[in-house]
Amino acid sequence: MRLALKALGEKTILVIPACCWSIIAGAFPYSSVKVPLMHTAFETGGSAAAGIKAALEVQGDTETTVLTWAGDGGTFDIGLQALSGAVERNEDFIYACYDNEAYMNTGIQRSSATPWGAWTTTTPVQHPKETPKKDIVAIMAAHRIPYTATATVAYPEDLVRKFQKAKGIRGAKFIHILSPCPPGWKMEPAYSIRISRLAVESKVFPLYEVENGEKWTITVWPKREVPVREYVKLQGRFSHLTEEDIEFIQENVDREWERLVARAVQ
Amino acid sequence: MTEEIVFKTEADMPYLPMSLGTTLVNKTGSWRYIRPLYVDKTPPCNHDCPAGEDIVGYLALIEEGKYKEGWELIMQENPFPGVCGRVCPHPCESECNRRELGGAIAIHTLERFLADHTASQRPSVQASKRYDAKIAIIGSGPAGLACAYHLALRGYPVTVFEALPVVGGMMRVGIPEYRLPREVLEREIADIEALGVEIETNMRLGDNFKLSDLEDYQAIFIAVGLQKSRKLNVPGEDAEGVIPGLELLKRVNLGEEVQVGPSVAVIGGGNTAVDAARSALRLGSDVREPRSNEVTILYRRSREEMPAIAGEIEEALAEGVKIRYLSAPIELLTENGWVMGLKCVKMELGEPDESGRRRPMPIAGSEYALKADTVIPAIGQEADTSFLETGEQRLIEVRRGHIFIDAAGATTRPGIFAGGDVATPFGTVAHAVGSGKRAALAIDKYLRGEELSGFPPIDEAVHAVPKDMDPAIVRFDDLNPAYFEEIERTEQPQRPIEERVSGFEYFGWAQYGEVNLGFNEEEAQAEAERCFNCGTCNLCDTCLIFCPDVAIARLVAPPYPVPLARLNGAGYEVNYDYCKGCGVCAEECPRYAISIEKEIKWKK
Ligand SMILES: Cc1cc2nc3c(=O)[nH]c(=O)nc-3n(C[C@H](O)[C@H](O)[C@H](O)COP(=O)(O)OP(=O)(O)OC[C@H]3O[C@@H](n4cnc5c(N)ncnc54)[C@H](O)[C@@H]3O)c2cc1C
Ligand SMILES: Cc1ncc(C[n+]2csc(CCOP(=O)(O)OP(=O)(O)O)c2C)c(N)n1
Ligand code: SF4
Ligand code: SF4
Ligand code: SF4
Ligand SMILES: [Mg+2]
Repeated sequence: MRLALKALGEKTILVIPACCWSIIAGAFPYSSVKVPLMHTAFETGGSAAAGIKAALEVQGDTETTVLTWAGDGGTFDIGLQALSGAVERNEDFIYACYDNEAYMNTGIQRSSATPWGAWTTTTPVQHPKETPKKDIVAIMAAHRIPYTATATVAYPEDLVRKFQKAKGIRGAKFIHILSPCPPGWKMEPAYSIRISRLAVESKVFPLYEVENGEKWTITVWPKREVPVREYVKLQGRFSHLTEEDIEFIQENVDREWERLVARAVQ
Repeated sequence: MTEEIVFKTEADMPYLPMSLGTTLVNKTGSWRYIRPLYVDKTPPCNHDCPAGEDIVGYLALIEEGKYKEGWELIMQENPFPGVCGRVCPHPCESECNRRELGGAIAIHTLERFLADHTASQRPSVQASKRYDAKIAIIGSGPAGLACAYHLALRGYPVTVFEALPVVGGMMRVGIPEYRLPREVLEREIADIEALGVEIETNMRLGDNFKLSDLEDYQAIFIAVGLQKSRKLNVPGEDAEGVIPGLELLKRVNLGEEVQVGPSVAVIGGGNTAVDAARSALRLGSDVREPRSNEVTILYRRSREEMPAIAGEIEEALAEGVKIRYLSAPIELLTENGWVMGLKCVKMELGEPDESGRRRPMPIAGSEYALKADTVIPAIGQEADTSFLETGEQRLIEVRRGHIFIDAAGATTRPGIFAGGDVATPFGTVAHAVGSGKRAALAIDKYLRGEELSGFPPIDEAVHAVPKDMDPAIVRFDDLNPAYFEEIERTEQPQRPIEERVSGFEYFGWAQYGEVNLGFNEEEAQAEAERCFNCGTCNLCDTCLIFCPDVAIARLVAPPYPVPLARLNGAGYEVNYDYCKGCGVCAEECPRYAISIEKEIKWKK
């Protein structure tokens, strides 16, 4: 958030639907950010931002950036309709989804962003999640919006550059940020950056961007390549997985990566 | 803004639920059970330098282009950077964490670079105090001169007594000029003399004066080195054409004419043997008549056990010196009093001896003869303590050929200290420098009536200007490899082999230039940049960028105070009101400059 706001500057209005960030931003009557922030209902991240942007335009303000900052539950699941509607109308705003791969604020329930095989309180180790993570970037790209990108804090220059780029584009922009959650992923808080980096190096979460739904570009080619195992083994939510399970994840990751490389411009 | 907002009645509340203050009111630091602390730690290079140099500090200064400051940082500890940057076997490099990613940092070449780059400048340091107590130093080798330097810096009048007509000990009469040019040594000795150190040459203790003549001096430091060549103890050793390695080197270094025959046999495996062999190769060679002789080293063990500096052995081989391993002479063959050859026996390696090396044993019936018209024994040197008079021998204890000293460098007689090769088993210039410095610090304490305690064991370095860092040593596993890439080590260029051995013509004279040519500025920069700065915060901002609680603040901005690398954590401040103790900063710090400590309140 700090990096995103650094990139966007003070002329920014934040929209935050119910999620962990509703708390981080401060409970009433306090705020932790120096820009106006509107807390909205869980499912309205897309539509609330569109409304604020329209109000700004009525006032003749074309400068201020409207940034929605929503969790994966509020984006992949309950907020998908409002988001799809807003970006399909090509509303001029940025929608950032910080994805901790479950409903963390309410106690680690699975979302459609939870990856295959992961433990959550609603996918216990006896029945870990059986379906793959929803490909939200492909869904956004399929709306043919001007700009879609992935990012993580482990690569701060890449993240800042993507927010700056999004700021300079008119129309709907979507940025998907992988965000490790120590209790939800059962990991050491100190490893937050390391795990984010491993996600990229293991190609579980490649860093790329899509322009106009057509031009795919990989923005960070991993400096070293590591097997998925290294990413998985630092997280207790995967500790029940067998070698075959990890092999299965590896195969999926390899296939997705190959597909991405094939469609990316070199 | 950071006060708590209290609504006493409904009327105090805003009409809309809007924020009226900041979350700074919530001191999340109270959640913390671990605390990050900025603490610089000791890199292996610093720990392993026998002269106690702050290597990581001067590598950082090179990176910043601050060459004079880098050189002065070395001079705080070691007055011989130009010498050590050339001849030191660089134990500092053997554990360098860069080994894992492209090879150890070429520390000695960078040390040399600093000394050479600042050759036209002189140090600005001067003693701030003046004491009356006079100190006598016996021997002007690196131990004696380092002791003199550190005492003079502390304000003591020092006189050095040297037996030879020249100053510098083995740096002057042992190590050949092709490894250590005369002007480099002279420049660094001049810096020591500039502090007021008096050096009296042609003054041999035992011949020209006795210890009892030194009553005017309140303390004495004995650093006479090892000057006696060990004998082979085989028949024929006294024949013409036999010249001990040390003597050959001394005569060459004193500018005397020395002749060697067309086949030269050198016996031994240490530095003296290798230097004597390479010198013999040069003596028998000339620009007009290249490579007229053949030089063979005979060593009774194998290559692995050879005590000479590994790089020197390689260079000797490259220049054409031959080495016969597992061979020992049993007789020197003579004719009319002149040596003609050697009778040798082949050896095999048996059980390890007390030195840990495998003991060589002769193989029966393996004798063979070797032609040689010059034989150079170089099987080791011994201390000559004959200057101790009968009464003194009881007071100053000599054990196993070495003057016995404690951790402070003190002999068994109060007020008399000893160091360098005559008292320690290490045999390098850097160790001798460290040993002389140790004695200087001890003599300073002794003259002020302080107890001679607190000195580390003799095989650890002492520091004249201790640096503020945790003694914990940073190993490769403590670093964060995500921030470092493999980069090849930069090697200094060398003079072409033919030119080294045969020399080059200079006003009709053959000149044998220095073998190693050092780094230019560009190479020095490239090599210094490879350094990880293990354990030393270099203000990279990684911790600041990643702290999720925005609890880290930077305290300094460019231009940085000198030396930047010695800020020891003063570059940043953690706001413990808000640091939640997640540990991300310490985990991500590329160079282990942040430590984690448990909060007391959690200790039950
Ligand atoms: C050929 C050779 C090559 C070497 N190469 C290297 C190398 O590459 N790298 C390295 O690190 N080390 C090397 N060494 C070892 C290194 O030179 C010594 O370890 C170091 O010089 C020891 O320093 P010192 O001050 O104890 O003694 P020395 O350097 O031996 O100095 C002792 C001084 O005391 C004087 N002296 C002796 N007796 C008396 C007396 N009675 N009265 C007055 N003065 C006296 C001597 O003349 C001499 O000047 C080499 C040694 C030799 C012999
Ligand atoms: C309509 C509605 N249903 C349920 C909730 C309860 N609720 C608040 S936050 C949350 C989970 C949010 O999950 P996500 O969007 O992934 O954000 P995270 O908490 O993981 O940051 C839920 C279910 C709500 N506020 N509104
Ligand atoms: S990388 Fe630098 S600081 Fe670390 S051991 Fe090597 S020279 Fe010393
Ligand atoms: S990263 Fe920040 S919050 Fe975490 S331990 Fe370090 S200073 Fe504290
Ligand atoms: S991360 Fe960088 S700035 Fe922070 S302590 Fe380590 S070296 Fe210093
Ligand atoms: Mg979530």
